Amino acid sequence: MPDSTSSAPPGRPADTSSDHPAEASSDSGGVSRRSFIQTLGVSAAAGAWARREQAAAARPDADDPDADDLETFGPGAQHITLSVNGQPLRTQVEPQTTLMEALRWHLELTGTKECCDRGACGACSVLVDGRLINSCMMLAADARDAEVMTIEGFAGDNGDLTAVQEAFIKHDALQCGYCTPGLIVATHALLARHHQPTLDQIKAGLSGNLCRCGAYTNIFNAVLDASGQSPIADPNNGGV
Amino acid sequence: MADETTHLPTHMPIENRPRNISRSVNDHTSRLDGVAKVTGRAAYTRDRYLDNQLFAGFIRCPWGQARLESFDRERALEVDGVVEVELQGRSGEYHGDIVGHIVAESKPALRRAMNALGATWRRRPSLTRLEDDMDDPPDVNAATRDLLSEAEHVFEATYTTPVQTHACLETHVLVVDHDGERATVYASTQGTSVVNEQVAEPLDLPQSKYEVVCEYVGGGFGSKFPIGREGQLAASIAAKYKRPVMCDLDRAEEHLDTGNRPSSRSTVRIGVNEDGTILGGRIHTWGGTGVVQRGGGVRFPSGRFDFGEIQKSHHDVSFNGGAPRPMRAPGHPQGAFAEELMVDEIAELVGVDPVEYRKRLDTSDARREMYDLGAELIGWNQREATGEQRRAIRRGFGVGSTTWGPNRSNAECEVVIHQDGSVEARTGTQDIGTGQKTIMGVLAAEHLGVPLRNVEVRIGRSTLPAGPPSGGSVTAPGTSPAMIDAAHDARRQLLDAIAEQEDLNADDLRLEGGNVYRGDERILEWSRAVRRMRNDRITGRGRSTGRDDPHWGEGHSDGVQFVSLSVDVETGMIRVDKVIAIQSCGRVVARKTAESQIIGGVIQGLSFALYEEKLLDRWTGAMVNPDLEMYKILGSRDMPHIVPVLWDKGQSGVRSLGEPPVIPTAGAVAGAVFNALGRPVRDLPLTPDKVLAALDSQGGDA
Repeated sequence: MPDSTSSAPPGRPADTSSDHPAEASSDSGGVSRRSFIQTLGVSAAAGAWARREQAAAARPDADDPDADDLETFGPGAQHITLSVNGQPLRTQVEPQTTLMEALRWHLELTGTKECCDRGACGACSVLVDGRLINSCMMLAADARDAEVMTIEGFAGDNGDLTAVQEAFIKHDALQCGYCTPGLIVATHALLARHHQPTLDQIKAGLSGNLCRCGAYTNIFNAVLDASGQSPIADPNNGGV
Repeated sequence: MADETTHLPTHMPIENRPRNISRSVNDHTSRLDGVAKVTGRAAYTRDRYLDNQLFAGFIRCPWGQARLESFDRERALEVDGVVEVELQGRSGEYHGDIVGHIVAESKPALRRAMNALGATWRRRPSLTRLEDDMDDPPDVNAATRDLLSEAEHVFEATYTTPVQTHACLETHVLVVDHDGERATVYASTQGTSVVNEQVAEPLDLPQSKYEVVCEYVGGGFGSKFPIGREGQLAASIAAKYKRPVMCDLDRAEEHLDTGNRPSSRSTVRIGVNEDGTILGGRIHTWGGTGVVQRGGGVRFPSGRFDFGEIQKSHHDVSFNGGAPRPMRAPGHPQGAFAEELMVDEIAELVGVDPVEYRKRLDTSDARREMYDLGAELIGWNQREATGEQRRAIRRGFGVGSTTWGPNRSNAECEVVIHQDGSVEARTGTQDIGTGQKTIMGVLAAEHLGVPLRNVEVRIGRSTLPAGPPSGGSVTAPGTSPAMIDAAHDARRQLLDAIAEQEDLNADDLRLEGGNVYRGDERILEWSRAVRRMRNDRITGRGRSTGRDDPHWGEGHSDGVQFVSLSVDVETGMIRVDKVIAIQSCGRVVARKTAESQIIGGVIQGLSFALYEEKLLDRWTGAMVNPDLEMYKILGSRDMPHIVPVLWDKGQSGVRSLGEPPVIPTAGAVAGAVFNALGRPVRDLPLTPDKVLAALDSQGGDA
């Protein structure tokens, strides 16, 4: 990747920025998600606070007095190590770099898709310490202490697919396929909570993942099948 | 075998469906690129991060109409990693209009430069919808006036639909890798051949010196034919700096400036007699076409019904919004919404059941049969008379129809048998999620006579034999005859070579399941058969130009859809419960992907009916919902039970399937809402406020 070293020059007010050109050049002065994150990113105290909160939520040893909560991060790019799919991966990110950007731009794990870039569609879903996360809504730096699992981590080294992946193929639960990695990750998270989800639980559990081609019927059937249940009943056979 | 037909409709889900007796339906084949897609290994254009890559992005107008007053180009150029900042214009005619571009070494640098530019704009008044600037319809002519004066009823109504955006999940993107001598163009496109044609000029290379690659596309729906400004910029910057360049749009840009389904307005005056006979009348439509005054046609009347003598006129109306592009069945869903709801309203006026009325008006015998099957599957006999319900939750039943003609498309295909026994099926089309790759593999394997696992399908490259763009639902119908011909040609060449070497008559030989038979006797297995060829490969070729092809077949794509739903009259919320979608598409090459096309069409139709609307602020002209949370598309919790029914009665050959299923859904939903409420909602999307307003419109809910 070409960009791992560029950074905002010191003194440049990064917190006035916004990430899409239309907003950037307007005089409306709204606060975009990214400018909010950038504000956080250049503030060492806020960054450390966010990371400690994250750690407290995720780790039993969060009260460890030796935790690196005094470390500052930014404003320039810095090396971090992320644990992704069981592998320690070292990369250089800026404070405002999201986990999605780190995975895609720096670590070449492009199975995690960039789509809405604001947590509305689920295409960038990953598991962070087993929790389902929109990776566009988490800073890469905040994932340092966590175990990240991406779509690339599900199929075995020998190419074996998970039951969920097999069922998605069998039921044609995909068309263009751009939402599919996120949906596979979300389905694994759903089945970890509900081993045999009802149809309503499936609909709720996958409601953070948008599919534009319209594969939902087959997605529901794939999830039912992967959890050892019968597909949605045929109306002609007395079903709903 | 392609000519066999079946009279058994088939249903989802896979396990519970009656076994189809027709060999024309392949039940079991799963999408050939399924593994790549479920593992994240499928590399989309937006995933192409190349070494030493530049990133290009656009400077865009933030308001409906505005003039760029000031900006600091030098300050933007000072940003670390910025390569180029160019302003080409000073005025924007719509939110998202391009006035310049920036090129940088990284995405963050690109964003910082956009901020550093510090552009300030002077906003000017803008027109935000077609109603702001539309003309009156032309006068009713003398014949129509006479006809209307003779009619016992004159039905008048106006129907409107909003601007809908394609909202592809993979935004528009091109990545161009240019080394000064040659280039590779990665494009998220539904027209590999279109990009091949259009990219030559900005690349400044002869077509022989570059290849367009489009292996996976994250949605297109009609918006991804031209290379667009993003393609022109990526190609010209790559040519200029001799470096790889990515130009990918963000989510807001995707809504603002990559095309849309134009808004529509249809106004009708229809003469009807007491017995339900429609004498004719006047239908005028407007299309809201953004800054260009073209492409807003509304397919109303569609020709599916006999409406007598209709005087039809249409105006395209421009306003300060992005230009339209074709969107899955351009002009059809907005027309069908008006047409189907109008038929329901007239049926109510003359006291006839909407299904019975359609069977009288419909011009297709196939659809007349489909209405009966659909009515049975949805439970039409449970439908209560329109407006008779008094419960808080009211049920409604609706019906819509669709048709799609057998359009031509040219295609060239090759089936290559390699000496090691592997087989390639090759054509330069692309798979935008339709299952095109799978269709090619199934046909090549079956008509060559080898198992599908032997076949590698290669599509999505401009260096392959010329394949069609994915538009007009002609890709499968156009390529299928060519792929069948190519497979037959390859098989004949192989059997000729075997016959010559073994001193047999080639006409006595056949290839089945990878084995060569003479009569019932298996004389060669595949691994030995392929060693009989003279060279390292055999290339079978096929070419299709449309209807003259013997594999073209008969019939065209018809369909009907039935909807049942509930309306909560206290909240105005509509909940669709079930959709029956009966669709003919000729020979079904791969059932799973065919059913997915139908289900997806219904879902997009429902989303159009209930949720989607590109909203421009009346004061500023800016789109207020350029994202995926406020631009609502149908999600998992909104899903009804959808039953696709494939119908190949009286048909042969591969027929269109992509577009027809998206057409009837919104009209069927609107008819069902009318049935439930007793009052029509004539303005899409059917949001709760409009439902409540309809209930209040005649002195409150009775």
